Amino acid sequence: MKSLKTLAMVAVLGLGLAMGAGCAKNADELAPAPVAAPAVSTKAISKALTKNVVYFDFNKYDIKAEYRDMLQGMADTLKQYPSIVVLIAGNCDERGTEEYNQALGERRARAVYDYLVRLGVPAEQLDVISFGEDRPAVKGSNEEAWAKNRRDNFTIMAY
Amino acid sequence: MRIRFFHGLRAMLSFVFALVFAVQVQAATLIDIYGPGQNQIKLSLASPLTGPEQEAKGLGAELHQEIDKNLKFLPFMNLVPPAAILGGTVLSGWQSEGIDFRRFQIAGADLVVTAYWPAGDSENSTVELRVFETFSGKFVFGNAYAGVTKQEVANVADRFCDDLMYALTGGRGFFSSTVAFVKGDGQKRDVWLVRPTGRDLRQVTDLPGTALSPSWSPDGRYIVFSHRDDRTYALGVWNRLDNKVTRIRFPGNTVIGPCFLPDNRVAVSLSTGRYPDIFLLDRQFKRERALEQSSAINVSPSFDATGTKMAFTSSRLGGPQVFLKDLNTGVVTRVSKEGPYNSEPCISPDGTLIAYTKGTPQGFRIFVYDMVTGFDQQVSYGPGNDEQPAFAPDSYFVAFTSTRSGKQQIYLTTRHGGPARHMPTGPGVASFPRWGK
Repeated sequence: MKSLKTLAMVAVLGLGLAMGAGCAKNADELAPAPVAAPAVSTKAISKALTKNVVYFDFNKYDIKAEYRDMLQGMADTLKQYPSIVVLIAGNCDERGTEEYNQALGERRARAVYDYLVRLGVPAEQLDVISFGEDRPAVKGSNEEAWAKNRRDNFTIMAY
Repeated sequence: MRIRFFHGLRAMLSFVFALVFAVQVQAATLIDIYGPGQNQIKLSLASPLTGPEQEAKGLGAELHQEIDKNLKFLPFMNLVPPAAILGGTVLSGWQSEGIDFRRFQIAGADLVVTAYWPAGDSENSTVELRVFETFSGKFVFGNAYAGVTKQEVANVADRFCDDLMYALTGGRGFFSSTVAFVKGDGQKRDVWLVRPTGRDLRQVTDLPGTALSPSWSPDGRYIVFSHRDDRTYALGVWNRLDNKVTRIRFPGNTVIGPCFLPDNRVAVSLSTGRYPDIFLLDRQFKRERALEQSSAINVSPSFDATGTKMAFTSSRLGGPQVFLKDLNTGVVTRVSKEGPYNSEPCISPDGTLIAYTKGTPQGFRIFVYDMVTGFDQQVSYGPGNDEQPAFAPDSYFVAFTSTRSGKQQIYLTTRHGGPARHMPTGPGVASFPRWGK
């Protein structure tokens, strides 16, 4: 497990440096870079994965086609680094009643969970939770805010 | 030991007094609050007395004030202002022969309440409370309360008002109930208790995370609730006996909307891998069997007093709608028939009505569905969003939350609707009112 973690950290460091430096640099230029502390690596991979968000229509939990490539990329990363565990959090907009929104958030989280499992991600790497309407990404009572709050977001629980 | 004996003696004395003194408590009801028309009754509180024309100004005055405060929560009760009584409210007697009923008749009062403290109104005194019809002079109801102390004045007022409501309407429970609710906003929310009149406000859980959907056990010993932290859901169980909270996890993580059945078991929505379905738990809070399972969301179970009818919310037709399941036959019928969004059902304890939340173009509103006639009636009118209806034990009052004042607060209305009254719960957001002992 420890070696996997080390592998993941090194790989993520590479990913982070590549993102930070742009595509002009090649692997040789990255090779002399010192091995980063674990916290830096975790931050890098978290940033890469947690920036993904899946948005839903009102009272819906089906995944739109536009998110398939993004989820495929997530699945590839997760399969490459099996020590990573991701929490998928389903969220709703402020409209709707609280208990039903908790259930709807759960369905949204499970929709992405099921999709990632079908793409080959081991279930042990995934966890789900619904925050209902309690953790909006954006404050506001208009369609623009609601659309940004009906979402699945991702948190790294282990690496 | 001596204190225990004293309390036991006092309770026994109170019981004996009640037996000897209470008359016609179960006489024909004077006011029908359950029928289609909501009647009104005018009541006058005579000044408390320690003797003829001797006004009680100690505990008597405090009890008078508490009763006055309590009765203002009854929407069918109009209190006649003392200034409207010609000759005043200080009487020469407390029984029918000593009461000048004409002064109350002239003011339009239907009933008058007298309070007599035979040994004065200092600590540990006895008070006799009586109710009379002003036009006939007929004695309606009375009770004596022994060993009244300053700390117990409000409780005596609650007991009297509960007895009075029962004598007048045939229903009781409002003044003897304790409401569990959730206080706080966002990610830190806890379960609190309060009397419906706003007294005895106290916090019972203090957990990191969010408490939701409390439900009382019928015996008043437990409150179960859904609890969520940053990663997990659990069923929270608060035990009144030791004031401790146990957090019980379930496979699938999600725990939504627990609700006690009349037999002290719990139904709750748990995740089965795809959709949350409603499960019955055994007495050790372990999953026993599914009560409602389908390829849709099933949440928010509510039961009648027999435990054979379960109302719940389901998305089986697309959006959320309210359904009723006969647990004996398994037959499921749709309750909410109009509108794309109906949820949060609550069956009245007498099993005749279902209060639920309906989405309208003006926001969420509380409706009451009559299971006998099949008619819907709107009982809340905003503004803002009105949600989370909960029937009181008397099947008459309905508590609900509303954002009409800006932040979510708890309000009271009745099965007939009418003006909503704010339930005092202290500063902060209040939600999920649930009635209990």
